[in-house]
Amino acid sequence: MTSISMWVLWAVVQTSAATAAADRATLERIARGDQDAVGELYDRHSRLVYSLALRIVRDQRDAEEVVQEVFAQAWQQSGRYDSARGSVVGWVLNLTRSRAIDRVRGRRARPEAPADGAVLLDLPDGGPAADEQLASADQAAAVRAALEALPFLQRTAVELAFYEGLTHTEIADRLDQPIGTVKTRIRQGLMKLRSQLAGEAR
Amino acid sequence: MTAHPFDQEMFRESAALYAVGALTPEERRAFAIHLQTCAECADELRSFQSTTDALLRGVPQIDPPLALRDRVLAALEPKGMRAVAPVARPKGAWPRSAAWMSAAALLLVTIGLGSYAIALKQRVSGLEVRLQDTAARLNQSERQAEAATRAATGAQVQLAVLMAPELERVDLAGQSPAPRAAGRAFWSRSRGLVFTAASLPALPAGRIYQLWVVTASNQAISAGLIRPDQSGSVTAWFDTPVDIPAPAAMAVTIEPDGGVPAPTGDKYLLGLSH
Repeated sequence: MTSISMWVLWAVVQTSAATAAADRATLERIARGDQDAVGELYDRHSRLVYSLALRIVRDQRDAEEVVQEVFAQAWQQSGRYDSARGSVVGWVLNLTRSRAIDRVRGRRARPEAPADGAVLLDLPDGGPAADEQLASADQAAAVRAALEALPFLQRTAVELAFYEGLTHTEIADRLDQPIGTVKTRIRQGLMKLRSQLAGEAR
Repeated sequence: MTAHPFDQEMFRESAALYAVGALTPEERRAFAIHLQTCAECADELRSFQSTTDALLRGVPQIDPPLALRDRVLAALEPKGMRAVAPVARPKGAWPRSAAWMSAAALLLVTIGLGSYAIALKQRVSGLEVRLQDTAARLNQSERQAEAATRAATGAQVQLAVLMAPELERVDLAGQSPAPRAAGRAFWSRSRGLVFTAASLPALPAGRIYQLWVVTASNQAISAGLIRPDQSGSVTAWFDTPVDIPAPAAMAVTIEPDGGVPAPTGDKYLLGLSH
C-alpha cells in the first residue's frame, strides 16, 4: 500500500477526534429526548451505516430497514452507550452489524431475491461534509486493500465471520476445511490486518 | 490467583475469534465470562478493536436514498408510546363515564388482539418460509444427484476426465448471493476439468457466470464461462492448460457477457481444494 493511504488514515484519525466529541454531545441530547439530535447523528453517519448494512444484507430494501432499526435503537437505547468502550460511531456501526447479521441469518431460509442490479437506483443523500465523505471513502478503500492483500483463505474466513456472521464451525463447513485450520486462519488474518493498519496509521 | 478452569492459551486464541464474532454461542458466553477475570485476554481483545472498527468502515461507501432520512425520523415517534399511554393511564381527571371506560378498555383489547394477530401472522409466515426451504433443499439434493449422474454418464470427454488417474475433486459451496447453489469440479492435469453445479440463480440479461481456478499465489485463471439451464443446473467440460498450477481454490463469479480476464463480480460459488 502506498504512503498516500497512510496520510489518509492519519487525516481520518484527526477528523474522527473532532466528530467524536460532537457525537457524544449529540448522543446526550438524544438521551434527553431531543429528536433533532437523531437527525444530526443520521446526517453524520448514515452513509457508513447504510454502506455497512448493504455490504452485509446485499439488498437495498433490507439495508434501508436495517438503517431504520439502528437509528430507532440508538434513539431508544442511547443510555446503553459506554464511552469507555469506544466511539459513538463505533457503537452505532456495531449495532448495524448485529442488526444486519440477524437479518441475514433470519433470511437464510428465504428464497433468494435476484442478486444483481436494482441496488443503486435512488438519488444520493446530502450526507456528511464532502471532505469527511472523501476521507471515509479513502479509508474504506485502504481497509479493503489491506483485506485483499491477505492470503485467500485468511481473507475469506475473516470476511465470512465478520460480514456474514458465520461461526468458525459454519465457515469450516462452507469452505470444507478443518475447524482448526479455519480458527488459525482467522487469527492470522486478523493479526496481519492489525499490524498492517497500525503500521499505516502511525 | 485461582487456578484457571480453562486452558489459558486456548482463550488467548479465542480473542481474535470473539472479535470477529466467529465463536459459537456457547464459546462466546464462556469467553465473555472469562474476560471479566482475565486481564490478559481483555488486553488481547482490545488490541483488535481498532482492526474490527476499521472492518466496520472498510466496505464500499454508498449513499443512502434521499427519502430514507424522513422515514428514519418518522419511525422514531413510538418512543414512550405517547399515543397509547393517556388511554392506558390517564394522568389528571378520571374518565367521566363508565361508557368511556369500556370504550377505552375495548380499544386496549383491540390493540392487544391486533398485535397478537400480527405476531401470529409473522410466526405462520416464518414457518411457511422454513417449510419452503426444506422442500427446496430436498429438491436441490435430488438435482445434485442428477447432475452428478449426468456428469458421470454423459459425454465421453467428461468420462475420460472422471476416470483420470490423477483426479482432484473440489466441492464448491454457494456464497451469499446464492446460498443454495452448489457445485463440484473434477480436475485432471492431463484431461481437463469437468464442472457441475445446481441451483445457480437465473442470469440477468448481459451477464454470465465465469469459473476461475485460483492458484496458491491468489492468482485467478479463467477456466471458462458457464450458462446454467432453466433449473440453474449445468455440467460442462473445460480444457485446461497442462502447465496450469494446481488449483488452491475454485470460484464462480458473475461477470459481463463474454467474460473478463480477471474476476470483478460477486462470488456465487467457492471451494477450496485439499
